This record gives sequence, structure tokens and C-alpha cells, in this order.
Amino acid sequence: MAAVRTFVSQQRPGRLLLYLVTAAVLVAVAFPAYWLVTTAFKYEVDTIVSPPIILPLRGTLRNFTDVLRVEHIGQFFLNSALIALVSTGLGVLLGSMAAYALSKVYMAYRIRQVIMIWILIVRIFPPITTAIPYFVIIRGLNLSDTHVALILTHTAFTLPFVIWLMLGFFQDLPDAIDKAAVMDGCSLWQRFCQITLPLALPGIAVTAIFTFIFSWNEFLYASMLTSRTAKTLPVVIAGYMSDKFLRWGEMSALAAMMVVPVMIFAGLTQRYLVRGLTFGAVKE
Amino acid sequence: MTNRLAPSHPEGAEPSSGGPRIRAAWRALVGHTAPAGVVVQDHRRERLMSWLFIAPALLFLLLTSVYPLLYSLRLSFFSWNMSVPNSQPVFVGLRNYTRLFSDPVFQSSLKTTLIFVVSAVTLEFLLGMALALLVTSRIRVVGLIRTLLLVPLMMTPVVAGVLWRTLYHSTYGAINYFIGLVGIPPQTWTGNPEQALAAVITVEIWQQMPVVIFILAAGIQSLPLDFHKAARVDGASAWQIFREITLPLLKPVILVVLLLRIMDAFRIFDVIYTLTFGGPGRVTEVLSILIYKNGLQFFQIGKASAMSWLFLLFIFVIAIFFIRELQGREQEGTA
Repeated sequence: MAAVRTFVSQQRPGRLLLYLVTAAVLVAVAFPAYWLVTTAFKYEVDTIVSPPIILPLRGTLRNFTDVLRVEHIGQFFLNSALIALVSTGLGVLLGSMAAYALSKVYMAYRIRQVIMIWILIVRIFPPITTAIPYFVIIRGLNLSDTHVALILTHTAFTLPFVIWLMLGFFQDLPDAIDKAAVMDGCSLWQRFCQITLPLALPGIAVTAIFTFIFSWNEFLYASMLTSRTAKTLPVVIAGYMSDKFLRWGEMSALAAMMVVPVMIFAGLTQRYLVRGLTFGAVKE
Repeated sequence: MTNRLAPSHPEGAEPSSGGPRIRAAWRALVGHTAPAGVVVQDHRRERLMSWLFIAPALLFLLLTSVYPLLYSLRLSFFSWNMSVPNSQPVFVGLRNYTRLFSDPVFQSSLKTTLIFVVSAVTLEFLLGMALALLVTSRIRVVGLIRTLLLVPLMMTPVVAGVLWRTLYHSTYGAINYFIGLVGIPPQTWTGNPEQALAAVITVEIWQQMPVVIFILAAGIQSLPLDFHKAARVDGASAWQIFREITLPLLKPVILVVLLLRIMDAFRIFDVIYTLTFGGPGRVTEVLSILIYKNGLQFFQIGKASAMSWLFLLFIFVIAIFFIRELQGREQEGTA
């Protein structure tokens, strides 16, 4: 396919300028991440100097060993991973079942449409708007500082997303196999488990990665609903702002340890990135 | 040769004739046609099964999303300071709301939120559109660009906040160092009432502009090229082609991008929490920070709930506007 070349000036000087602008923007985009990683490897005396050291010539692993000595840090890592894993599992299970029913024609079209719009509207509201009632309800249920509380809230936020995204993946599957299975008398449940799920596995993986990243990164509810037992990493990072500000090396080391797994996961979803970002609206 | 930002999707690669495709699920949302499917005669068992498939998710959402929303509506009619031991909610009717309408703090927060959303999304969109056009036309190192853009996008927002706080630091930060190289004296950025909001908007643009680039680039890739070729043969300039052909064809994708970006910009919380916590003074106190402070720091549960509901209604109106626009577009498409 010919590239869409029509948009950009064909003249040489114009082109050079465009390259320069793009390069400048990309450097600006990349610099903060570079700063984070280099700070994580700097000696403490090298982090707080003026002028700042842009190109560090010596490095240390000290910040990382310091982070690992932070009290209960292992548990906070585990909390983050556990909450993200369980809420992803729950969300993907409930969400793909619902999406499967919505992708079939057995329910009236109008009903499916209403359900989908309702689900979308649930997702549109900013999380802060349900924060207050959640806080009161979770306290009333004596679930403060438990994993369950965070798992439930995170699943509530990702479920609409899972349904919309999985619906798109299910609709992409070829109809023929499903029809053959109907002829063979397979029930809806059998077709879901034995045909649709295996075929939609890449879609499920992508959806799961997106929901995992959401839960891993989520801060508002984590800070509001947990204090120690179920505390997650974003809350620990935010704690550096009040307690240990200017311990930039240690803070950056922890931040890097948090962000790197996410980047690796995100890299795996590249092919479906736009789908994920648009709630399944635009397909690459 | 292919020069695409988006790796091609095996069967989705060929451009469709009607411009970028908004997917079936979204067409169902705006409802211009029923999705294709066999006509169903009698499927009572399947229909029952379908409801069983969907019931767990619906029940879950009812309990975890609808119930809290309604509960918050109820709380918004009460006055309740939870920090006072054993305090009970007292019914006050609409008083929380009427007070908010004349509350200068609430009004200024609403204004701050609007300035934040409008300037962040506008700049993200303009920059993102320019870069999307670039990466889909002539840039050769597309894989590298993709990876670079993915980094801010996937970065934990709290981390982005603390990271930029170190960058903005007036003595040890890298930004003052760089502007010092071109002779600008050091600034206090997040500490300066005149610069703080712009500083926050910059972070938002840095983190979210990749969304715009990725989505628009995917949209541009799926445009039919015939019109462009014809226009070029007719001697149209690059700008004319962009305005008369690319933009109109891209309109559905643009609407989706704007809808998503605006809705997400209203959600901003983590970055501001770690970067400025609404300060200095109240200059970066967007609604989510204001609600957080009122509800979860001062425990004015009723007042914070009323704020939440006004915020909800506000967002709802904007969302409806965009969905209507999308709807109009889709119906035109079928006519």
C-alpha cells in the first residue's frame, strides 16, 4: 500500500524542518523517562546538586537495595500484584461472558443496545464521583484495608471496558465454525467454552493486560481504602512526597521497578493498542 | 512500500471505501442499524442462557457502580461530618446544592477544571494531529517512535506526578537547568500561582498526547487513498487536501478521540495529587481534588456528595453532546 504521502510538503527544506520538529518533540517526550532511570542509578549526592547532572558518569545500585529495605515493601509488591491479578481474572471472566451474550442475536437488539449504552455511561463517570459513597460503604462493611475492597472497586472500573473490548473481538470471529457447532447441537455454554474462548485468546490476553495495568497503576481508591495490610505501590510512591521528599534516588528506583513490568506488558499489546485505547471503537 | 505507525492487521489492512471504520460495537451504540446476524426464529433456551451469561456482570455493576451512585445521591441531601465521632447524617434537603451554587470556591474549581480540560485537550489534539500526519507520511523509524510514545502513556500517573515534581524543582530540577542554557532565569513552576496550572497541563499533554497520535494515525492509515490521488492530480495543495478531504473523512475518528480525551481529562487526579495537590493556594484545584479534600480530608460527606453529583451531571451533558454528534455522523453515512 502506498503510504499516505499527500499530507506533507514535498519540498526538501520543509521536510527537513518537519524532521527537526518531530525529533525535538520525541526528545521532549523521552527525556522525563531518561531522567527517571538515570536518577535511579545516581549516588544520593549526585541527585541533589545544582546544576543537575544530566549525563551521569558514575552509578550505583544502592537506591535499589535501599528500596528493598523499606519496611513491608515485599508485601506491598505482592499486594499490588495480587489485587491486579484477581481483579483482572474476575473482570475478564464476567466481562467476556457478558460480551459473548451481547455478541449473539438471541436477545432483542434494543435490549442489548440499552445494556451497552448503560455500561458505557457507567465507565464515563470520573472515579472521584463514587469515591465518597465507596468510602462510607466500605467502612460500614468493615472492609477497610482489605484486598477484597480494592479487588471489587478495580473490577467495577474495568468491567465495562472488558465488555466493550471483548465484544469487538468476538464480533471479529468467523461465524462459520459457530454455525457448524449449532448444527451439531452444541449449547451456548459449550460453544462459548470450546469454540469462542480458544479463538479469542489473543483478544483475551490483550484485554487482561490492559486491565492489569489499570489496577497496578490505580491510586485514588488504593489510597482511600487501604492503610497497611492491603497497601499498594502507587500509595507507597505518593508517600515519598510527604515523608521522604528529596530522596529522589530511592523514589526513582522504586518507580522504575514499578513501571518496567508495565512497559513490557504494554509492548506485548502494541498490535491492539488503538483498540484498547478507544474502548474498541477504532481498529488498526 | 508501507510506512505505517500501526503494524498492519492481517485482514484489516485494506482500506474500506467509506473512510475509517468505527467498529460494530460503536455502531450499535449510536444505533443506526441492527448488527448483521441470522434471523432468529425460536431460541427460547438460548435467550435464557444469554441472560444467564450477562447476569453476573450486570449484577456486579449494579452493586458496585449504580448502588454507590444512588447512595451518593442520597448522601447529598444530608449534612454529615464523619470526622465527629458518632455523628449522624441530618437531612437538609437541597441545601448542599443551593450553597454550592453560590460558593466561590466551587465555582473557581469548576473554572479551573474547564481551563485545564479545554487547554490540555486542544493542545494535545493539535500537536497530536500534526505528529500523526507526520508519522503516517514520511518518517522511517516508526517502531522507535511507537515505543517512545508508549512510555509516558503507560507510566503510572502517580509516578509521572512525582517524576515531574523533581523535573520542575527550582534548584535541582532539569527544566530550570535547560532554560538556563538559553539565558532564562530559574522559575518556581509548580510553586508559582501564575505557572502552576500551565505546569500541570504540560504534564497532562506529555502523558496523553500519545493517545491522540496513536488513534489518529490508525484512522489516517485506514483512509481510502483514491480521493487524495485525484485531488493531487487536480493540483490541490497539501493544505487543501488536508482540509477538504482528510478532515471530513476522519471526522468519526476525531469525535471518538475528543470524546475519550475530554472524559479522561476530567478524571485527572493522581498527577495533580502528587504534583501540586491543588496548590499553590487553589490555582490547580480541579473538581476531583476539591471533592477529595472536602470528602476525604474534612469528611464533609454531604457537601462532597453534592459536588460529585453536579460534576456527574456536567460530564453527562458533555458526553451526550458527543454521542449525538457521532449519531448524526453515522446516520449521514447510511443516507
